Amino acid sequence: MVDSKQQWKAWLYLSPAIVLLLVFTVWPIINTVRMALLENYNGMTAVSGAHFDVGFANFATVINYPQFLNCLKTTAILCVATVPLSTFLALVIAVALNSIRPLQRTLQTIFFLPYVTNSIAIGMVFAAMFNIVGNLFGTENELIVTAGIVNNVIQLFGGEPVNWINAGSTYWANMTVLIIYIVWNALPFKILILLGGLQSINKQYYDAAKVDGTSRRRIFAKITVPLLSPMLAYVIITGFIGGFKEYSSIVGIFGDNMGPAGDAGRLNTIVGFIYKALETNKLGRASAAALILFGIIFVVTMINMQVSKKRVHY
Amino acid sequence: MSENIKTMHAKNMQQVTLQAKISKSVVKFFTYAFLILMAVIILFPFYWMVISSLKTLEEYRLSVPTLWPRNVMFSNYAEAFTAASLDRLFLNTLYVGVVSTLLSVVITVLSAFAFARLEFKGKDTLFAALLATMMIPGELFTITNYATVTHLGWLNSFTVLIVPFLVSVFYIYLLRQNFLQIPNELYLAAKVDGTSDIKYLWKVMIPLALPTIISITILKMMGSWNSYIWPRLVANDPAHQMITNGLRNAFTDTSGDVNIPVQMAAVAIVSFPLFLVFVFLRKYIMQGVSRSGIKG
Amino acid sequence: MKKKIIAGILLVAMVLSIGMLAGCNDAKPQGGAQGNFVVPESGYDGSEVTITFYHTMGANLKEKLDLYIPEFNKLYPNITVKHESVGSYDDVRDQISKQIPVGNQPNIAYCYPDHIASYNLAGAVATLDSLIDSKVEVKRADGTTEILGLTDEQKADFIPGYYEEGKTFGDGLMYSLPFSKSTEVLYYNKTFFDEHDLKVPTTWDEMEALCQKIKEIDPKSIPLGIDSEGNLFITMCEQLGTPYTSATGDHYLFNTPENRAFSKRFVDWYKKGYLTTKQIYGSYTSGLFTNEKPDAPTSYMSIGSTGGANHQRPTKDTNGQYRFEVGIASIPQANPEKPKVISQGPSLCIFNKSNPQEVIASWLFAKFFTTNAEFQAEFSMTSGYAPVIKSVEKIPAYAEFLKNSNGGDNITALSQKVALEQQNAYYTSPAFSGSSVARTQVEALLAKCMTEDVAKYGGDLDQMIEKLFQNAIQECEYQG
Repeated sequence: MVDSKQQWKAWLYLSPAIVLLLVFTVWPIINTVRMALLENYNGMTAVSGAHFDVGFANFATVINYPQFLNCLKTTAILCVATVPLSTFLALVIAVALNSIRPLQRTLQTIFFLPYVTNSIAIGMVFAAMFNIVGNLFGTENELIVTAGIVNNVIQLFGGEPVNWINAGSTYWANMTVLIIYIVWNALPFKILILLGGLQSINKQYYDAAKVDGTSRRRIFAKITVPLLSPMLAYVIITGFIGGFKEYSSIVGIFGDNMGPAGDAGRLNTIVGFIYKALETNKLGRASAAALILFGIIFVVTMINMQVSKKRVHY
Repeated sequence: MSENIKTMHAKNMQQVTLQAKISKSVVKFFTYAFLILMAVIILFPFYWMVISSLKTLEEYRLSVPTLWPRNVMFSNYAEAFTAASLDRLFLNTLYVGVVSTLLSVVITVLSAFAFARLEFKGKDTLFAALLATMMIPGELFTITNYATVTHLGWLNSFTVLIVPFLVSVFYIYLLRQNFLQIPNELYLAAKVDGTSDIKYLWKVMIPLALPTIISITILKMMGSWNSYIWPRLVANDPAHQMITNGLRNAFTDTSGDVNIPVQMAAVAIVSFPLFLVFVFLRKYIMQGVSRSGIKG
Repeated sequence: MKKKIIAGILLVAMVLSIGMLAGCNDAKPQGGAQGNFVVPESGYDGSEVTITFYHTMGANLKEKLDLYIPEFNKLYPNITVKHESVGSYDDVRDQISKQIPVGNQPNIAYCYPDHIASYNLAGAVATLDSLIDSKVEVKRADGTTEILGLTDEQKADFIPGYYEEGKTFGDGLMYSLPFSKSTEVLYYNKTFFDEHDLKVPTTWDEMEALCQKIKEIDPKSIPLGIDSEGNLFITMCEQLGTPYTSATGDHYLFNTPENRAFSKRFVDWYKKGYLTTKQIYGSYTSGLFTNEKPDAPTSYMSIGSTGGANHQRPTKDTNGQYRFEVGIASIPQANPEKPKVISQGPSLCIFNKSNPQEVIASWLFAKFFTTNAEFQAEFSMTSGYAPVIKSVEKIPAYAEFLKNSNGGDNITALSQKVALEQQNAYYTSPAFSGSSVARTQVEALLAKCMTEDVAKYGGDLDQMIEKLFQNAIQECEYQG
């Protein structure tokens, strides 16, 4: 039974949040839908009083873009690669951190550092680290003037320098750098959440397991992971949402061209597509792409939640 | 006979504990080695940022990057500082940070309480809808919101920096999870005693959820400190300018060419207070996150 | 959980349908006055107005501006000028694009032609023709008068190529005044050239022969570095007289046999190791030019912006001497009879406002700062960008600055001297909404032609180039 006094009280408490959300979140969403449905809606021509037909042309424009599938592919690969990798690494780091005493705080602070810095600036740093300066890459006349620190390390171990991000680099070399950067960037938040979860696990479970002489690996698989599963689910779901919105990491490393020299746009993502359309005030097209992205994220999140419902132990 | 067995058993035990000790210290060694290696990887870009911020523009643009600046240019930091009137920027940012954090915490607490403790029609639907809003790319909000605040006449004011982002679905979610863990019996008992909701919130819920509230406070403060796109758009006049904007605008050297070392210095300056906050309040942040026990 | 999902979907559907309904209401035009600006008969009435100016100046340049605003206010005390540095050129464009729909744009802004083309879709930029031609007398606070428009001397004082940039929009109307300009020049290692008795190339054919010669002297070198593929492509079109883009009709015209031919020539140079570009090289080619590591390859020429002259200068050796002397010349030409060099750097555009006095006040401001020789001289000496009027050379300090120019400490002056000498060669390409897309595309195109694997096209270079040109045109049509 819902008593009526609780009803109005609940709405009263929620009212400040709801009012603000209506104005600054719900209205923009409605406006986005409106712009998506006005064919070829352009922020500038709209001011001069142009007329726009209502229809689904913007959606067609987005889907018919020859590079659209490519944007989807890059976005999907980045998600599928970075989310499990960063989650696994964060889990291992968190468990390791939780098992030590000396230096724990210092290390914890270090692992949190990426959280407090600007991602574009750090992207520039990554680009410098993977950069390789020279000419005629990938041909017999290849000339390398200098290589970034990563290639220096590879050379130190006797390897050949890799063309990571420059002209003539391969798609997968580019993706490797992006994945490393995105994982690096995603680690602190995940470590924070997982470590928090680990610290709240009741010590009794571990003591019991110790008495039984259970192996370390078994403890990890049978106690730690199940008890941590709500946090893992959370970290994975938000990881996917963030992954589909990937953009600034690519700008940070490859610049506005969204690709290495000689292959601009190769690494474009859906959000990158939206920003390009916004630059030329093609708001209709941008809105349609945003709604398509929203649809994709919505479906993926629902699948995620269904899976986690079966796997997560509360 | 039984003595024999006992000593054998004891010997076995000793061996086992010795083995365990050895394997334990091997594990310890690898744990530390792994963590320190990861820490170095995590730290390297910061090292790079700091040395870049100390180089001259010419040195930064060298084809062969140097691992340590030839002339340590502390003047880059001075330049990043003086190019903007920093005291004003700090005060503005602090004001916006404090006020928006206070209001935001109040709104979050009230909403989280309603979602966690009160029964009303459409509660689950509303909550699911709130979570769904987190999935939309933010840039599209900016265009419409800019039109809204202009019509409201809020441009170049502190209001426009504070109000539009007071509600965070993420914080409501975090705090609701925390509130849910407080047994409902406490609430029912308090109601029988005739305690008002607000009093109950103040006396019971808030103290119990304090770590989470502190984490929210810190995260919100960090957000205000780092915000850039919105403040630049709506309040870029000297009276309301925020720290990131003030510093960013100082980078361009001649006509729009970016002086990257100075930019790096500015990024370092902006990150440093956040870093300090984390170092000193790490305990609370950790507690807040762990106690909220994020559950679906 | 299932209920929640269904409820969530229903809610999304609801929001969608509200959007549909809202979609039926067409956006109403907003903002201030539109169309071509016409000077009211009364001209400037001296009423109090505040005007806002968006730019990208760093602290040192803002200082110069602040020095001259009081000078302007001595003449026009009722015009209050507010100015702010918004960030980069793109930041200025993005911010104003958000402001125009709500009628909140500044009065004056730094602009590039493609920005104006975009603002113009909303009819937001004031045309300047009526202002320029106005003979209405304006009273100044110091008791003197001037005409509102430009005098014939003032018009003639502008460097023609810079001035014409304001008219590149296909309708013959004037939309902007040049403020501060840069161009591309050829930096060369004068010490090396003198040592080997090399001649500075004036045509691309000479350039090819020279690169071959340098390769013989120093096989490890890459003789020529190019900082902008986009500028190279557009300038080549202009020098050859082949189409690039058009402001009217079909916009993207650059897929022609001549353009493919010169692209193929540069691909050939690249493959022979004659040249590299900033994107391909992975760093500013000035780094290659000023390289100081003895065993590393160097370049002996570099085509780059006059604004970045400082970066083309080598570091000093232990004796405090520059390691080599830099020479600066005009870039090579296809036809030396009709030289063409690109004009870059900010212009000023004025926005329409409901109060015409704001537009007039903005015009007075723009006119003051573009025609004031002292300001132009001082601004140029600080920024490294070239002044837009010829009379700066009469300013003693500036004449002195040019006189002392050299390839060492005063390299900035030397670059400006070259920029001023080639003042009849400036061109600007047509501007329209989407012209920046064309620029981005040809920039990527040239780099792609050089690095793409020809084996993918059956080893047929011509076929590959043709395919890449087609793709670029397609991308332009889509994004523009």
